[in-house]
Amino acid sequence: MTRRTALIAFIVVVALAGAGSVARAHHAFAAEFDVNKPIKFEGKLIKWDMVNPHSWFHLEIKGEKWMIEGGSPNQLIRQGVTSKTVPIGTTLIVEGYLAKDGTNKAVGRNFILADGSRLFLGGSAPGQPK
Amino acid sequence: MRRISAGALAIAVAMMWLTANTNADQQAAGAGTAKPAPRQGSGQAAASTAKPGAKPYKAPRTPDGQPDLGGFWSNATYTPLERAQNVNKEYYTPEEFKKVMQDAQTRDEGQTTPGTTADVHYDFTQFGLDKSQHTIAQNLRTSQIIDPPDGRLPPQVPAAAARAQAAAAERKQQGGQYDRVQNMPNGSRCIIMGGAGPPLRDAGYNSTYHIVQGQGNVMVLTEMIHDARIIPLDNRPAPPAGLKQWVGMSRGRWEGETLVVETTNFNGRNPVGGGRGGGGSTDAVKVTERFTRISDDQIEYKYTVEDPNTWTRPWTALNYLQKTNGPIFEFACHETNIGVSGILAGARADEKRAAEAAAAKTGSR
Amino acid sequence: MITKRWFVGGAVLAGALFLLAASVPGQTGYKAPRTGDGKPNLNGIWQAMTSAHWDVEAHPAAPGPMWELGAQFAIQGGAGIVEGGQIPYTPDGLKKKQENFANRMKLDPEIKCYLPGVPRAMYMPYPFQIVQNPKYIMIVHEFAGAVRTIYMDNHTDAPAPSWMGWSNGKWEGESLVVDTKGYLDTTWFDRAGNHHSDELQTIERFSARSPDTLNYEVTINDPKTFTRTWKMSLPLYRRVEPNAQLTEYRCVEFSEEMLYGHLKKKTS
Repeated sequence: MTRRTALIAFIVVVALAGAGSVARAHHAFAAEFDVNKPIKFEGKLIKWDMVNPHSWFHLEIKGEKWMIEGGSPNQLIRQGVTSKTVPIGTTLIVEGYLAKDGTNKAVGRNFILADGSRLFLGGSAPGQPK
Repeated sequence: MRRISAGALAIAVAMMWLTANTNADQQAAGAGTAKPAPRQGSGQAAASTAKPGAKPYKAPRTPDGQPDLGGFWSNATYTPLERAQNVNKEYYTPEEFKKVMQDAQTRDEGQTTPGTTADVHYDFTQFGLDKSQHTIAQNLRTSQIIDPPDGRLPPQVPAAAARAQAAAAERKQQGGQYDRVQNMPNGSRCIIMGGAGPPLRDAGYNSTYHIVQGQGNVMVLTEMIHDARIIPLDNRPAPPAGLKQWVGMSRGRWEGETLVVETTNFNGRNPVGGGRGGGGSTDAVKVTERFTRISDDQIEYKYTVEDPNTWTRPWTALNYLQKTNGPIFEFACHETNIGVSGILAGARADEKRAAEAAAAKTGSR
Repeated sequence: MITKRWFVGGAVLAGALFLLAASVPGQTGYKAPRTGDGKPNLNGIWQAMTSAHWDVEAHPAAPGPMWELGAQFAIQGGAGIVEGGQIPYTPDGLKKKQENFANRMKLDPEIKCYLPGVPRAMYMPYPFQIVQNPKYIMIVHEFAGAVRTIYMDNHTDAPAPSWMGWSNGKWEGESLVVDTKGYLDTTWFDRAGNHHSDELQTIERFSARSPDTLNYEVTINDPKTFTRTWKMSLPLYRRVEPNAQLTEYRCVEFSEEMLYGHLKKKTS
């Protein structure tokens, strides 16, 4: 699967959509999480806080509690997802970036289930054909 | 669900729908609006599900006799506010627009490169937040702006440039964007999103609205940060000058099938038409919106922005509200705005590390 | 045999029954004008007039949190809105209330401009507007622009918990009955630290008692926090001035120093 830089393109898309606040939010993520500290964790779900503006997955990773940032749940809720959809104890593999503030916190670039499939929607797991 | 097939399916459905239907502009009611003739060879802006030659659509009525605008609506669109620099016509052909959508969807779905700033984010597609998974208000226009006819914002008055310079200088005085929360954008602070307006502007995602009409009122709820604007229809006088609000104060009336909403008394802190270094509107702006239900599943949404402090003339834009499904789950933003603390703490941590590194350097000399 | 005494006795009994009915909320005998779909018309801007936002239980006037503001911002006393007088906490529930009260300057979500929850939003000293439709009844609050969506048909469960809960409504004669679950446990009932768990269920009844007043009562059901269900009730008053309208109270900015001030960059 090819991966390509989409930074400029992403901002163009966002500008096309007239959503300047989304572009700024993108930049803000890089202020909160460290691009030089990628992580790949496996843990068990304690709780998925289905909150806005971003949801939070609370995981137990190697005996420690972590919180991993995900997206707004609102579109998923329109598609029938509820707080019961991802059972407590589900194994999640998370690829992302560590928070800069030194706490057990990260942003989840990809959330992958134990069978290699992607949580919820879209995309393809790394290493799989697009 | 694989992204590519979902995106391709979305495009296929869109194209079938666009080519099967008639020009919505020729269907539109709306007092005083000239119906634009399609440009030669430019194809039809097919946004209505009504049949050619049929009578103009008449919406069902609410219990108090208003045309019914009720329901959940999306204004997500691939049509930009302003016409692109290399485009000089009003409508794309269906083939051209297909390419516009495909290009946008490829960008939406494109993977970011690990180790780049763009990669430091959750994947929108995973949460259904990318546009290809959103209900889209389809049309073939090259811009939302329909007046001026070049599809672009009018020139700004000289005062606007001076104001923008002064604002930039003031921002510099206030320090870096992450020095304190007050230096961060309104949306990041969960005060208000640009999309709430008025006018209603398509948001990058969750661009959803809930319209509910009660006796003598219309409520328009913007999804993000649960912004509920209640528009009275009782011909009340203009609001008092001393009361300025982020969303201004709206007064509505029905003109036949069209809801006309005039909004004044803005505090100017959520400007319209900003960006590109320009400051956008001031507190003197007046926004006039026109909502007309043109089919079971579409509302034509037209708005005019007048601000003599900013533009040499008023400008008008057109988008559509497309019926979608609910619910709008509570968008409690400020309550769980963990990002703000995270960003500020992260910036302070970075500064501390930089200071320690600098101190170590001097210490070792 | 019907004698005069029977007749008088019957009239007295009927009168007594009528008075009894009139004193029970929702059964005053007043019938509100109808909306186009034949329901009691509750559209309008309404506001409570009590000191329950300080403390829903009976309480005397007392000094406020900041002595500098003296009599301008002190605690207004009141008879309370809890039917029966006292909230029936479990021992743990009472302990938590006392901790909340002791630390209320730091803990009260109202100070942070957080969504106030239910029923607190209904008796805070800010107006709210009811927009009534056959499918949805919206309650929009001036405080923090809080919004409640009451689903009048298609009743479902909350997809996830929220601050203002997930409300299913129906009409029972003259009363709007709203059953709400799916609350987070992050809201309080007042400034005195009265609280609830995430198992809270509220059942509210809105009934017109005159052209410009409503009777409002709410049953609190939360076995994790209380030993039994209990009720609060109060009238709601229409804002009758011409051109009444909610005014923005976008309070996020007012709370930012309290929430984020300690994370500011220190200027040397």
